Amino acid sequence: MSKLRETKGQKLFNVIEKNAVPILFIIICAIGIPFSGYSLNYLGQEIITRIGRNSFLIIALLIPIMAGMGLNFGMTLGAMAGQIGLIFITDWKIGGIPGMILAMIISTPISAILGWMCGKILNMAKGREMVTSYIIGFFINGVYQLIVLYGMGPVIPIKDPALVLPRGYGIRNTVNLIGIRRSMDNVLAIRIFGLSIPVLTLVVIAMLCFFIIWFKKTKLGQDMRAVGQDMEVARAAGIKVEHTRIVSIVISTILAGYGMIIYLQNMGTLNTYNSHMQIGMFSIAALLVGGATVNKASIGNVFLGVTLFHVMFIVSPMAGKNLIGQAQLGEFFRVFVSYGVITLALVLYEIRKRRARYKTGRLLAQDQADMKEVDV
Amino acid sequence: MKKVHLSRRHLYQLIAVVVVLLIGVIMFVIGKQHIFLLDNKTLESNGKTYPAFSIVEVQVNRIESLELGPRDRDRADVRGQKHKITVRYTDRSFEEHEVVVKFKVPLSQEMVLISLPALVGGAEESVWLQPYEIPVLLTMPVDDEPIITDEIMPMDI
Repeated sequence: MSKLRETKGQKLFNVIEKNAVPILFIIICAIGIPFSGYSLNYLGQEIITRIGRNSFLIIALLIPIMAGMGLNFGMTLGAMAGQIGLIFITDWKIGGIPGMILAMIISTPISAILGWMCGKILNMAKGREMVTSYIIGFFINGVYQLIVLYGMGPVIPIKDPALVLPRGYGIRNTVNLIGIRRSMDNVLAIRIFGLSIPVLTLVVIAMLCFFIIWFKKTKLGQDMRAVGQDMEVARAAGIKVEHTRIVSIVISTILAGYGMIIYLQNMGTLNTYNSHMQIGMFSIAALLVGGATVNKASIGNVFLGVTLFHVMFIVSPMAGKNLIGQAQLGEFFRVFVSYGVITLALVLYEIRKRRARYKTGRLLAQDQADMKEVDV
Repeated sequence: MKKVHLSRRHLYQLIAVVVVLLIGVIMFVIGKQHIFLLDNKTLESNGKTYPAFSIVEVQVNRIESLELGPRDRDRADVRGQKHKITVRYTDRSFEEHEVVVKFKVPLSQEMVLISLPALVGGAEESVWLQPYEIPVLLTMPVDDEPIITDEIMPMDI
């Protein structure tokens, strides 16, 4: 099949359409930065901190996309498992990097079980994975609240009075993670041009990136890509489609648990009943801002997304205050943009799918017309 | 009776689980936090008096050193079981002394009281290192930490 003949204008439109979300965000940031009045040093420091804080969580989304399961809203399940690990280490008074590793060890089986359950359900809802995983997140949130609010204390022993509600059972609304606060960020931290760089955190993120690159080349990774492209073809080729999909969700959920622990060690405080709620939406929005789509995402999208999304996050309240005199308007703006970008990305995905079908038709017609000309 | 067949794959999985559990136990031991209450008060034990220092400098592990006057008490937050305490003081003849003691703290002990005069005075470990429990009546209700968040939804919506 030959290449579709397009005018320069059509080619330019295609490029803009393909990168609509990142371009939109670059424009928003370019306008917002001067109005916010923040120094480049401050912005740089904030971005470095947020890259260290959020990247791991966002990278956790890549594997289900590879397996054609779309954006894993069920990553909140892993986040809850990570939080349970953190509650235990806070009660046992285990601090520093050992505390973080122990929290990860505790979260792993919980994440794996939840991920396996989520994968099983998603196999029953093929084609509607995103909305299903979103609802599973709400369901497991109910179970999490039941355990944390009523189970911890009488059933699961929690001794620390600073953790337990005054009534004697249930965990307080906020848990002070003083024992592990910035314990990972501060190890090997260096200062360059007045900016504090959390070297160990960035090394861990880089290792995860290498893992993802390596994983794509393994048999399982290739199977996932095959399943993501066409499930029926993959099945005909002898790949266990359902099993592969479950494994992708399990890996994503476990990584999300680790990501949540890294995220919270940076924050230093666990908001027991809310921290995990927005994390899925938050990470997905950042990934989409980086130019990822429902069926295609790369490591480059993660870092571009986390940078652009967080620049918007940092500058919008101050830009709103300086422009209109109300910081609250900037807050509303970032809420609007965050949710809006997910909608925009999903709409663009559908438009692109239709356009691809239309292009294939046009290409076929063009080829047929060329053949007729040759015959004449 | 059915024979249980353990394949090589199962064996590796079992070894992996055991290794992870072992790492968990090691992390528990080396990451356990303790609070040391460093006490510079006159102590009487077994008929012997250990008088408080007029001024003493104390350093636990590599934490920044603390200076204590008579009847002063300060705290040091530490991790792990093995610790080193360095006490520096000047005696009545203005001679400087440094005493370094290495010791272990039981895993279950969250808070210990270290009597610096007894430690320097050569008392037994059970005299200068004593477990400490916060009196129940003195336990103040803990206020909730302020919520730090950068969530998408502002808290007041």
